[in-house]
Amino acid sequence: MPSAWLSTHLRAARPRALAALNRVFGDIDLAEDAFQEASLKALRSWSPDQLPADTVAWLIVAGRNAGIDTLRKRRRETLTAPEDLEPTFDGSHPEDGLSEDIDHAVYRDDILRLLFTCCHPVLRKDQQIALSLKVVAGLSVEEVARAFLVQPKTMEQRITRAKKKLQAARLDYEVPDATGRAQRLSAVANAIYLVFNEGYSASQGSELIRETLCEEAVRLARLLVRLFPEEPELRGLLALCLIQHSRRQARLDGDGQLVTLEHQDRTLWDRRLIAEGNILLQTALLRTRPGPLQIEAAIAATHTRAASYDDTDWAEIDRLYRALEHVRPSPVVALNRAVVQAKLEGPEAALMRLEPLAAPLERYPGYHTVRASFLAEIGRFEDAQDAYRLALALAGTEVERAYIRRKLAGAAPEPPPV
Amino acid sequence: MLFSVLIYASEDFIDALSPEEHAALLKKHGAFHEHTKANRNFAAATKLMSTGTSVTISRDSDDFVVTDGPFAETKEQFMGFYLLDCATLEEAIEAVKILPLDHGRIEIRPVEFFEGADFKNAERLVINAS
Repeated sequence: MPSAWLSTHLRAARPRALAALNRVFGDIDLAEDAFQEASLKALRSWSPDQLPADTVAWLIVAGRNAGIDTLRKRRRETLTAPEDLEPTFDGSHPEDGLSEDIDHAVYRDDILRLLFTCCHPVLRKDQQIALSLKVVAGLSVEEVARAFLVQPKTMEQRITRAKKKLQAARLDYEVPDATGRAQRLSAVANAIYLVFNEGYSASQGSELIRETLCEEAVRLARLLVRLFPEEPELRGLLALCLIQHSRRQARLDGDGQLVTLEHQDRTLWDRRLIAEGNILLQTALLRTRPGPLQIEAAIAATHTRAASYDDTDWAEIDRLYRALEHVRPSPVVALNRAVVQAKLEGPEAALMRLEPLAAPLERYPGYHTVRASFLAEIGRFEDAQDAYRLALALAGTEVERAYIRRKLAGAAPEPPPV
Repeated sequence: MLFSVLIYASEDFIDALSPEEHAALLKKHGAFHEHTKANRNFAAATKLMSTGTSVTISRDSDDFVVTDGPFAETKEQFMGFYLLDCATLEEAIEAVKILPLDHGRIEIRPVEFFEGADFKNAERLVINAS
């Protein structure tokens, strides 16, 4: 029975070690197998009292040796193996000196390459999430499958297909230039936020696995902030995840029903995470290089400053949504802004603002629930009910449907006072 | 003599802890608090936020430069510190053995000068090395 501490060391070392092996072999599959072999070797030879001085470097060397063995075996098995199976070593790898630290810059490039590979634009969003969780965070296929409510076998196939797509895309293993790096960082930050949202959106899977997804996303964001402290958008990402995550106890009631921001018990919000999120955002804003994640974090932070829903600074939130519309315009952002504007200008004006969104958001249940709530506010209950029914037909999950049904039942004139 | 107890650990490792492992870690800190308070050694405890929240200020000729992140990129990061008021170094070492040491390192370094404000009660405590 391996000590829990050892498996935690392996979990902690995984992203950096795997990223280095991915650089060495230029192949995620081989890198994963090599890391697995290295981990088994570590479990046999490490003990809590006698850990290597640098666990990551140890795993990279062991993994590199294991990977080379695999390549040699493959070569013997296939007589016509192409020459390029042997990884091209120039003899001067940074991890050669076991006691020497791998240069910070090398880790940065390695991790960025690995994460960017896992969320490469050729992959679908669900493939990006699955690969990031499986490859980088090291979740088992079973765990990832549980998060998506599919059979492990189905998830295994999904991951295999994603990896084949990556192989077919013939990825560039060169170190990117500044522009290329900025694009990669942005793609990676978005992918991590997707992982977080998959856990946060309460869309599917058990509560436990959803919480795991959020925590893995936070862990990856923390790693990236450590590697790229000068990137304000990554601090924005971490701030956003932490502030959202601070509400996890308040978002579901005792029966597992969704509780909206308006009705959450704010004493359940985790103030420690809010404090960290707020200071991260402050440090990010020192850079005056705003980006969508920083703005979203600022919106989330504004909510944390309100003692109650009625105290919310809607004017500030409206300004932030306007900024978000500017840097990343989308119908969903416009919809969110309309909700805020309803607070400032009343439901009728906000209803007008929804009109141009009707076509692009026709299939988006959130559009219909927002519209329904505005209609109910001005007493057009029949129209509100129709809109809620449209939302009900489009909603993807039972939690959402239960929420809409409650709203539908409530979209009626107040009963006369007794 | 006032001693600082400086705690270093890898943030990668701390982030990888399971909730149970994290609880086990905190339990040891709790035992340390109890022990040092019972022995009247306890002076202060400070846990720092992640290094991701750090900024570092330096001066470049006439300009102040604020850079993001901690002062140095190290394998292990400075996580927080205790202040212990102990008669001898040995006493401080014995107390520190209660803390989690399965990973990371703890440095004991005597305090030369200390001034603290009880900012809740506006009282002031000054301790000089002697």
